[in-house]
Amino acid sequence: MKLSHLALLFISSILTISAQGLDPASIIHPEKGSWPTYNGDYSGRRFSALDQINAHNVHDLKLAWLYHAQAGPGGGSPFGVEIKSTPLQIDGVLYFTVPDHAWAVDARTGREIWHYKWQSKGGIHTGNRGVGIYHDWLFFETPDDHLISLDKNSGKFRWAVEIADLAQEYFSTPAPLVIGNHIIVGVGGDSLDVPGFLESRDPETGSVQWRWNTEPIKKGDPGSETWPDEQSMTHGGGMTWLTGTYDPELNLLYWGTGNPNPVHAGQGRKGDNLWTCSIVALNPNTGKLVWWFQPSPHDTHDWDNIEEPVLFDAEINGEKRKLLAQAARNGYFFVLDRTNGKSLVTAPFIDLNWSKGVDSIGRPIPDPAKEPKTDGALVIPASGGATNWPPPSYNPETGLFYVSSSPSYSVYYLTDTTAHPEGYGGRDSGLWAESALKAIDIKTGKIRWSHTFPGEGGSLSGILNTAGHVLFTGDPSGNAIAFDPASGKILWHAALTSTVSNGPMTYELDKKQYLVIGAGDMLYAFTLP
Amino acid sequence: MFFAVALCASQQQQDAPAPPPPPDQSAAMKEAVRNFLAIGAPPNPEAVKRGQALFVPNCGFCHGTNAHGGNSGPDLVRSVLVLHDQGTGKEITPVIRNGRPAKGMPPFTLTDPQILDIAAFLLSRNQAAANRMEYQLQNVVTGDPKLGEQYFTAHCASCHSPTGDLAHIASKMDAPALQSRFLYPRDQSFFGPSGPPNPRSQVTVDVTLASGQTFSGALNHIDDFSVALTDQSGQHHSWLLESEPGIRVQVHNPLQPHLDLLKQYTDADMHNILAYLETMK
Repeated sequence: MKLSHLALLFISSILTISAQGLDPASIIHPEKGSWPTYNGDYSGRRFSALDQINAHNVHDLKLAWLYHAQAGPGGGSPFGVEIKSTPLQIDGVLYFTVPDHAWAVDARTGREIWHYKWQSKGGIHTGNRGVGIYHDWLFFETPDDHLISLDKNSGKFRWAVEIADLAQEYFSTPAPLVIGNHIIVGVGGDSLDVPGFLESRDPETGSVQWRWNTEPIKKGDPGSETWPDEQSMTHGGGMTWLTGTYDPELNLLYWGTGNPNPVHAGQGRKGDNLWTCSIVALNPNTGKLVWWFQPSPHDTHDWDNIEEPVLFDAEINGEKRKLLAQAARNGYFFVLDRTNGKSLVTAPFIDLNWSKGVDSIGRPIPDPAKEPKTDGALVIPASGGATNWPPPSYNPETGLFYVSSSPSYSVYYLTDTTAHPEGYGGRDSGLWAESALKAIDIKTGKIRWSHTFPGEGGSLSGILNTAGHVLFTGDPSGNAIAFDPASGKILWHAALTSTVSNGPMTYELDKKQYLVIGAGDMLYAFTLP
Repeated sequence: MFFAVALCASQQQQDAPAPPPPPDQSAAMKEAVRNFLAIGAPPNPEAVKRGQALFVPNCGFCHGTNAHGGNSGPDLVRSVLVLHDQGTGKEITPVIRNGRPAKGMPPFTLTDPQILDIAAFLLSRNQAAANRMEYQLQNVVTGDPKLGEQYFTAHCASCHSPTGDLAHIASKMDAPALQSRFLYPRDQSFFGPSGPPNPRSQVTVDVTLASGQTFSGALNHIDDFSVALTDQSGQHHSWLLESEPGIRVQVHNPLQPHLDLLKQYTDADMHNILAYLETMK
């Protein structure tokens, strides 16, 4: 090949790259200061290497811009627009969503670049976690179970494909996760006892590459021994409604699954109900199950186990281990060996009363006396859980795992006592809750420090740690707060128009570090003066 | 503080659960919950009645009188075909007219309006299963009133009296609401209003400044950075904690004893106390 040809090839490849937006290969080692996925990287740690904003100067943070996300009459959700998505930041542009809506906003100025609205056919509009980006193509899911693809530069519609059946009460909330040429999509929906699944979709066409079903389909399938019959497993729930994490070295995709169905009536589905309320490790190329761990066997309290499976390496008992940690909605903190799913730590992070202890493989043992009863069972925590989807964070500098928690009490009632209940089969009545930020030692599961916010109310907010020795989150009173992650001391706060409703994120542009926080229908950007 | 309780409903419950159900089951609130759960418009109640009258004798033997499934026919409440029908009759008509001979279902000669009525009945069954906020509780009064009285005398009688503040309490609200109310009294429970707002449950605060000056009143707001109260004259006061070195804030929650007991009750205690309170008609 002549030199000129080589040069031409080189130039054209540069052009191709620059015109190709986000190369999925680059997500494996994201550039410092970028935020190319829902969690900022594949690990789910939400720990940024940026340190321009740090413990010494965080009190000087000032509002750089704010963006008011307006979805129009009835848009977003029945309670108005609430930004639950974590924006992606790619080439100076932020991309985020609320149900049926996606935006591109200039990351330096907060000026809108485009706003796309999907004409919805219905579905539960409770929230949307955001977008996934593959080269120049943006993907997000909708309450009426479509995967939408847009041109990220123009907001122009490419295509939409149906990923689940709205008539069966599925609705879809996760931010799609991009791994190579796989767009991983999950689904939600608890109303009518439908089976959960996770799918990989083709970025070009939206067609199915593989599908992993949360439950076995027929008697004799692996896992079917944990269900009484085919009827129960094919109506067994186990939704996949929050974006998972990925380890490129092990090539394993980690995902949390939701509660079994019928939600509160367990009498028709005796057994552990695999793989509901589980953490599963899948091969992202094939969707094959590699290992699983079940934090809530036979759940009857609506404790979806979708909370982020956070990946990090740390020494345990003098040995460097590849770990996965999760603070689960049932109130337990789990640390697993992420190569094989074996339990290393199981410890409650709130006082709870539903378990009889922990079994030999690290799973809590549910107390049948605390299952929903016709006359009520008083249980800690309430169905919203000890925590929920708002993103936790792991800080490698402190070795602590941080979670927004809600100690809470509720009475759980069984309303359907038939042998084959349908729908939820029960309900719960929340009594009292408070909110606390907890810092958990990953080696022992012990609470290193805890900050209980004054007042009642179980409000949860996402968490961000940075190399600047600062932890950002929110309180139930609408304050954005910076904590010292080592001690729990408050370093800074700003009063917002509502509670922090997403996971705070950070990025650097033109050597300036930005902190971006969603609160209700507002996106706030802070920088140093 | 009280707004935070409201936040608890919308924020904490997140994806799977929904906001608390209607305090008075009013039409507007029912509609709001239906909207949140994305359940379509309810079918015409008259059509549902007619449909049920047709369904029970024609279909009930195999599919169960409430469409849950029976001896030989599948459940229709969660049937994908029925869910796609959405009360239109379009999906179920061919099945009813042609039967499913391979599965032992004979054809039925029902008219179009009759099938529409059956479709409306099935839609009402789908919606009843999907609308968890309207599930009816069964009997919750199962405890022993004598044991409940003993518990009450030992733990509650210093603040409450069955002939004083609690006289006729069981006539003022239904049993589930009363259960929520005594466990932790709020102006409303998930099961509806649990009595009028009680001034006895007002959280108060004493704020003492470094100068020694003290302000007392109803707590309006408290967080890690500020406190606000309304004093007896109705005047609002607020302080930024960082601007008032030496400030002391003392919150008094009259419901604290309820919270302390909440952490101690066994389920039997809860049922016994309710049974005792239910004697106060």
